[in-house]
Amino acid sequence: MQVTLMQGLLIGLFAIISGIDFWWEGFYIFRPMIVCTVTGLILGNITLGIVAAGLTELAFAGLTPVGGTQPPNPIMAGIMTVVLAYTTGKSPATAIGLALPFSILMQYIILFYYSAFSVLTKKLDTYAEKGESKKFTNLALLPTWIVGLTYGIIAFLCVYGAQAPMKSLVNAMPVWLSHGFEIAGSILPAVGFGLLLKSMLKARYVPYLLIGFTAACFIKFGNLMPVAVIGVALALIEYNRSKKDAENDKKLKTAMENSNGGDDEDGI
Amino acid sequence: MESKKSETPTRGKLTKHDVGMLGIRSIFNQSAMNYERMQADGWTLAMIPSLKKIYKDDEKGLADAMKSNLQFINTNNYAAPLLMGLEASLEENGEKRSTIDGLRIALFGPLAGIGDAITWFTILPIVAGITASFAKQGSILGPLIFFLVYVAMFFARIPIARLGYTTGTRAISKIRENSAIVSHAASVLGCTVIGGLIATYVQITVKTKIPVTAGHTIAIQTQFFDRIFPNILPLGYTFLLYWLLKKKNVSPVVLILVTFILAIALSWLGVL
Repeated sequence: MQVTLMQGLLIGLFAIISGIDFWWEGFYIFRPMIVCTVTGLILGNITLGIVAAGLTELAFAGLTPVGGTQPPNPIMAGIMTVVLAYTTGKSPATAIGLALPFSILMQYIILFYYSAFSVLTKKLDTYAEKGESKKFTNLALLPTWIVGLTYGIIAFLCVYGAQAPMKSLVNAMPVWLSHGFEIAGSILPAVGFGLLLKSMLKARYVPYLLIGFTAACFIKFGNLMPVAVIGVALALIEYNRSKKDAENDKKLKTAMENSNGGDDEDGI
Repeated sequence: MESKKSETPTRGKLTKHDVGMLGIRSIFNQSAMNYERMQADGWTLAMIPSLKKIYKDDEKGLADAMKSNLQFINTNNYAAPLLMGLEASLEENGEKRSTIDGLRIALFGPLAGIGDAITWFTILPIVAGITASFAKQGSILGPLIFFLVYVAMFFARIPIARLGYTTGTRAISKIRENSAIVSHAASVLGCTVIGGLIATYVQITVKTKIPVTAGHTIAIQTQFFDRIFPNILPLGYTFLLYWLLKKKNVSPVVLILVTFILAIALSWLGVL
């Protein structure tokens, strides 16, 4: 299948909108769940888009921009997964792997911008000192427009310009290689989950991880809802317990302070 | 006399609508994200209309407020409206510049921690996990639910900003007191769901069969790994990656590339 010029332009336009959304973290239409679906819609194969959305969203579940870090780009991953599956006829799982270089390319462009936009801070300082809110507003919004435009151009070039070489490259791939990409696509969520765990797993949370894992292994159900409900129950138990502990600590502290009189005023 | 007058001019008051708009404008928080001051430029941009209303004709007050808001800040994007609402109420009450700046700087870190724990590490995995199970079957419910959840999350910025504004300084002790408990409970929920996600969405199936006698082979996957515990390979591999990320500080991009190379090599060998 071929991506037409019109489809390429529409995808570019969508990349501008979702790119700005990612920059702002506004409506989360930058997540592969939405990006893949919309790309599928533009290409006239929404089912392909939705299936790719499920796979790509999970592969990127842990790759989050927390604390000013930049993960491999979810927008380019989403767009290129669907486009490559559409143009080459490979499965979305295989296409995730093939889309990865495009995703990393965009990641580095954004990292470059993080450094580059530091040059604006001096000028913004002067506007602030003079209280010139109009000029300040225009300049503080400039990075957003630059980023949006970059997304549009990169997405259009990757989708429309690179489709012929990508197609011949993919068609020349032996079976073991494309199968390897497919396997990698299905293992990839492990990296994301590993990253999530890096930020939140402490020794005392390991039991909950094991409960969730075991529950999902043995509860046969279409989605993760049962595990989420178990998680909510456990969270409530822990919440109530910690709250009680905190209250008891407080009571203990006031009791001790009372018995000590005013002696510990310079303590703590 | 004139200098005295400009020090304590009367401050304007924000309406409920103004504070709601501040919540909406908190979307600008990352509009000029950069490594030097992270969100500071966007933060100030979001605050401008509120500051203008509060300082009215007091140009010096406005300039001072804008300048001080330009200090380094990096917080969670759903915690930002809370902190913005809080700051607006302090500016309005005419608190000292140093008090306002001190509180903002003291609070953005803890708020980022709790905000990230809730939005990125709890809500996103749960919503992604559940909607992906719909999407994988080609159901439009997947993206639709996902979209609706995050539209609701966006508009939650309005009540969040109002919460910060109305609780004002009282919020600070409350936030300090409860943030540890709330992020603890959120981590419990998040870890449970991630355990489930590992079992459901990481797939590693070994194809190798070992011939024992002529005509009899043992399939490593079904007759060995699956007998020990289902999905034991995904769990093991995820923990290996976790260990590399946490203890060895390996970059995620390197791990992605290693995963690809391993998958392709093992595919070539016929193991996976």
